Amino acid sequence: MTHRSWAVWRKELRDAMRDGRTIIAVLVVPLVLYPGLMLFMGSIEAANKKEESALRIRVGVVGEAQIPGLHGRMSALQGVSTVQLDKAPQSMELAGVDAVLVIPPTVAASVASGDSVKVELLYKDADHKSSAADERMQPILDDVRRALTVLWAQSRGAHADAPPAISVEHRDISSKEEVGRFTAALIIPYILVFMVAAGSMHIAIDATTGEKERSTLETLLSTSTSRSELVIGKCMAVITTALVAGTVGIFGLWFNFSVLANLMPGLASQSMQLSIRPEQALFLLLTVLPTAIFLGATLVAIGCFARSMREGQTYATYVYMASVFLGLGSFRQLGSPPLQRFAIPILNTALLQREILTDTVVPMHAAVTLGMSAAMAAIMLVIATRLFSNESVLFRT
Amino acid sequence: MIEVRDLCKTFHDRKKGDISAVRNVSFQCAPGHVFGLLGRNGAGKTTTLRMLATILAPTSGTAVIDGLDVTEKPGEVRKRIGYLSGDTKLYDRLTGRELLEYFGELSGMTQASIEGRIAELQVTFHLGDFLDRRVGKMSTGMKQRLSLARVVLHDPPVLIFDEPTSGLDVMGAREVLRIVQELKAKGRTIIFSTHIMTEAERICDEIAIIEQGSILTQGSVLSLRNGNGGGSLEDVFVKTVQEVTSDA
Repeated sequence: MTHRSWAVWRKELRDAMRDGRTIIAVLVVPLVLYPGLMLFMGSIEAANKKEESALRIRVGVVGEAQIPGLHGRMSALQGVSTVQLDKAPQSMELAGVDAVLVIPPTVAASVASGDSVKVELLYKDADHKSSAADERMQPILDDVRRALTVLWAQSRGAHADAPPAISVEHRDISSKEEVGRFTAALIIPYILVFMVAAGSMHIAIDATTGEKERSTLETLLSTSTSRSELVIGKCMAVITTALVAGTVGIFGLWFNFSVLANLMPGLASQSMQLSIRPEQALFLLLTVLPTAIFLGATLVAIGCFARSMREGQTYATYVYMASVFLGLGSFRQLGSPPLQRFAIPILNTALLQREILTDTVVPMHAAVTLGMSAAMAAIMLVIATRLFSNESVLFRT
Repeated sequence: MIEVRDLCKTFHDRKKGDISAVRNVSFQCAPGHVFGLLGRNGAGKTTTLRMLATILAPTSGTAVIDGLDVTEKPGEVRKRIGYLSGDTKLYDRLTGRELLEYFGELSGMTQASIEGRIAELQVTFHLGDFLDRRVGKMSTGMKQRLSLARVVLHDPPVLIFDEPTSGLDVMGAREVLRIVQELKAKGRTIIFSTHIMTEAERICDEIAIIEQGSILTQGSVLSLRNGNGGGSLEDVFVKTVQEVTSDA
């Protein structure tokens, strides 16, 4: 980095910080919009759950009398009313019910003779209310299973009027911190890629194609600063905003989930502790650096190539979408990914960040990720410089 | 001193093939002189001047500026030139002072020399309080004065002006010409392209008429007029260009 490249860097940042679009992309979006939207989605989920528990459900029952005590147990179920049906209806909507419990007419005899029986709860997963009915009816299905077991036992001469309830359940014993760490490992790599790409997009195009469109390029090229110094200065400015956007993005997530959510009682149930240790934060930023350089240089190269801001923004959007999809790839990765995945730019960074956040870093993964990202960044820097030095590209019409 | 020797530039177009924009252009300009490049739009003025400013590389031929070959030492040449094009814009979000500081740094000047030079130019170019105003808020005339200040900030011995009065009103254009004449008086070597005859007559010591990338004729304003029956420079220009276009 020469003194002149620093001058370009300072100018581009000053210029960008006076442009509302950059401020929005680098500060407002990562700090407010996306974390706010995620929090908002969480609050909607909480409201949905509350609304679901208050739903009045109508369940049709076919063959209720087959199971002793079933009517009483269903009547005791909160928010559920039952309708006696002779047979399963063709249409639940026409029958005015949200789900139908179908008990075969010969169920008692079949159980007594040791035959297998099937009791079904018909519902529609695609229907919100019907799906809620399925959830609400789970204790009843357990009761039916137990009652049929009792019938079978009695047919075998056992005295089993009221066997003890045997419950086999799933219980999530994750602490808030553990849930927070898991969620952080899942979403932060993606969010970081997303923020870095979004933060670098506008300034990269503005600093390159913008020079062409504003007719300031000739002036710049006629100075004694070399093309490579200009490109490096511009890339550095793009990388800086990308890193700021990424850092602000992490801070925004932490602030919204750990601070703001706890301050707002309505959202408290959705809060989790997105705790990132300082050394983890430092390693995250270190992994972001080569990706930011790679993305910055790629976008600057695109900006050098594009004839107009519109063309540049179109190409940059493709890069942005590709980045987001590669970042999303880390969502689908379970367990330890194969080594070759760490050779794919952007995806490798997201995967490594996930390892950092779950304290499962494999040194070889880190080495391949950083090596590949640095190599790709260097290649893109060379391409950007060559394009910026190529008059047939710079002045193409 | 500028010495242009057989300068050629060919652009390649995928549909049209090779397009010869500048053909064997040669001329000289000594310090303290203004050389005018007179031509219609698309005649090859801008391409010629861009090659002199090392923004474009010549296809063949060369130019020596202040003793340095543009094809061999483009970086060194750029240290010795100031280039201004009429359609050149400035950075709207920077103030005038920030803009000058930026270009001072790009020219390799020290912070102290930049500050001293800005103070000097503020007076010379009547920049006044406008210097601390954002460029986007300045009038067209003010921007052009700032552009001129930017061009001479690093005090280059050679100045290349490509239609610098384009888009300016009478007062603005007059101000630009006054500044060019002052620079000439200070011994700068100046290349000035225009398609406005009165401007050329007023400030140029020597003129070349360029059409279809070639210089058709060149000489002092007086010699060109005398050689064409004593008409105005506009008459000389029209007659010269028509001879070529009617041949074509």
